Amino acid sequence: MRFPTGFLALTLLVSLALVTGPAVGPAGAGEGPTPAFAFPSENIAIEVWWHEYGPFTAYVKELIEAYKKVRPNVTVNPTVASSTDMNQKLTVSLAAGTGPDVMDADASYYVAYYSKGVLEPANLDVFGVKSYEELMARYVPGGLASGTFDGKVYTLPYQGNSMSLFLNNKLFAEAGLDPKRDAPKSWKDLMALCPKLKKVEGRRTVRKAFEFPYHSPRWQLQDLQPMTEQFGGKILSEDGKTAYLNSPETVTALTLWRDVTKACGDPKNTKNTASNPNQDFLDGFTAMWVTGPWATPQVQASPIKNEFTVVGFPQVDPAKPHTMVYGWAWGVNKNKPEKNKIVAWDFVRFMLAKPEEWLAKAGFVQPVKGVGDTEVAKKFPFFEVHMKDVATASWYIRSENVNEIAQAVGRAVDSVVYDGADPKAALDAAQAAVEKILKK
Amino acid sequence: MSVLASTQPRPTRKRLRLDISAKQALFGYAILLPTLAIIVIFRFLPMLQAFYISLHEYDLIRPPRFIGLENFIDLLQDPLFLNSARVSILYVVFSCVPVWVLSLALAVLFNREIRAKNLFRSAAFMPVVMPAVVNAVVWTFMYHQDGVVNTILGWFSIDPIPWLRSSRWALWAIILIGIWRATPYYMVIFLAGLQAIPHEYYEAAQIDGASPWRQFRHITLPLLKPTTLLVMVMSVIVAMKVFAVPLIMTGGGPADSTRVLPLFIYQTAFEFFKMGRAAAMSVFLFAAVMVFTLLQIRLFSRGED
Repeated sequence: MRFPTGFLALTLLVSLALVTGPAVGPAGAGEGPTPAFAFPSENIAIEVWWHEYGPFTAYVKELIEAYKKVRPNVTVNPTVASSTDMNQKLTVSLAAGTGPDVMDADASYYVAYYSKGVLEPANLDVFGVKSYEELMARYVPGGLASGTFDGKVYTLPYQGNSMSLFLNNKLFAEAGLDPKRDAPKSWKDLMALCPKLKKVEGRRTVRKAFEFPYHSPRWQLQDLQPMTEQFGGKILSEDGKTAYLNSPETVTALTLWRDVTKACGDPKNTKNTASNPNQDFLDGFTAMWVTGPWATPQVQASPIKNEFTVVGFPQVDPAKPHTMVYGWAWGVNKNKPEKNKIVAWDFVRFMLAKPEEWLAKAGFVQPVKGVGDTEVAKKFPFFEVHMKDVATASWYIRSENVNEIAQAVGRAVDSVVYDGADPKAALDAAQAAVEKILKK
Repeated sequence: MSVLASTQPRPTRKRLRLDISAKQALFGYAILLPTLAIIVIFRFLPMLQAFYISLHEYDLIRPPRFIGLENFIDLLQDPLFLNSARVSILYVVFSCVPVWVLSLALAVLFNREIRAKNLFRSAAFMPVVMPAVVNAVVWTFMYHQDGVVNTILGWFSIDPIPWLRSSRWALWAIILIGIWRATPYYMVIFLAGLQAIPHEYYEAAQIDGASPWRQFRHITLPLLKPTTLLVMVMSVIVAMKVFAVPLIMTGGGPADSTRVLPLFIYQTAFEFFKMGRAAAMSVFLFAAVMVFTLLQIRLFSRGED
């Protein structure tokens, strides 16, 4: 039986359209069906490591099962580690040459992996693009900034978290406030609310109006960085070689931090820990708290349920908003066989293909274009607020010494808040410590 | 061919003849060998490796770069390291001295004929069997504003103390846990020492009219000297290495007030990835423990002869 040439051509065109045509939904990094490239045909096993977070782990396991159906010759071996241990596990294993094919790390750590030469740049063929610019174009402006080095994209984020202000509606109502109408836009607004929201009985604080984080230096930097940038300063130069910890802007930001704390919080009294960073807010002990969209399922599962409001990160000047974005990203190990690296990038592409599922199942916002137009995003509480904060954000500082810089900042904040040290003196000490580190 | 070959007379070999004691010694060494190998491979080689790494700049991934004594010189000028060493010394002094006194007092108490002695002994030993991580978590709750400790203080009209969130109090909070955890362990060691003292000495002293204090001062304490030395050396070494409790409860804060040396070594190695610097700190710690131990042994052996 012979088919007419026209029919064959039509069939070919339809098939081509199915393979390369636009998929329904946002343009994720691995959006659309599998692009055409030479995928290994033999059996291959890859190791994938990620950090533990219940909903995230469940979703990645689901993706692994789905990938097996698409690529039956690939075995994906998963390893899950706590977020605090992941960086050291990765570094030690990469040093021993036994690291994973696909790694998951805090975006701010990748600069260290890049400089140590263990990262493989994104495979353009796998993503069906001709250039890194084309890949970047799928993301919101700056969405891939944390994983781009010397013009090449090395890591792809699966979460880019805004820092937004969560309000407890019930506590606002108890204080005679309306979380919509009275929501603070500026630090000044926020401080004005504190006398109404903070409750002290004798010398015991029974409710805090607002609190900064004190459970982790990295979190402290997450707040001090955008505050410094709101005053027109910065923590670190673009090349990561110069610190500005004792600049007038950083000193002003830390002074504001101290004043807000005095008026609104009680840092000596908290149940927040590295593994439960939102605990005081979830317990109704803090009325206002800055955190990321990933906290939404936790808040909904707490006694607060849906009685919360999210507004933008407080500003020095609401007319010129500035906040910070931090996140986690996938990377591929350069020291693996070529075929493994192709499979690894293909698996990353497959995982990131549906940003709306990441939002629905893990609460993570991929900084790709079009996420906000999906039904899931429209149903996600205060999604537009989170995206607005992402749009005015710069990424968490990138440096090989990010942990030491965060420690120095945390030490300065602690000594100002707990010991009453002068912000300038505390930041001078932090600057001296960081300068010494960066000089090496 | 093979049959023929097998029927050939074997060349006579000189057999090594060992007498019975040599055979026993050989057997003894053979038994010791696996343990010895494990100790050498997993204890002494890493220690030697640490000495080697301390002379290098090493971030785990890039090859180590020899820098001589630079790490050691740097550390002596580093305020963070010096502060950490100070915190460790404070921890050792203020946790060990009370532990020696309390554990000896408890041992003397439990060595007497008291009702339900075994029950009390077992109850007192409970903190030792509890894992350090559980200890840390339980005490974190106990130290909270509304926790047990502040509630008890409240009965005496004392305002809540921010135990873990104040650079003034945090180290004392950690020290208190160290004392609570170590006392029963050393009590058992003292108890074993007390039970080894012949009862006849006390009977003779009683006949001579010695008061209980004089008996303690002139019989118990001198005969407990070897046990006391063991307790002092062990407790100082253990206190120098305290790590899990400050890591879990305070992470070294606030403002570095609880950043003991082992915690700083861990952070330098596995958070900052400066293995050479961390190894140099470990060498300092090793030297400090060694000097302190030798000093204690020397003090205790003075006048032995």
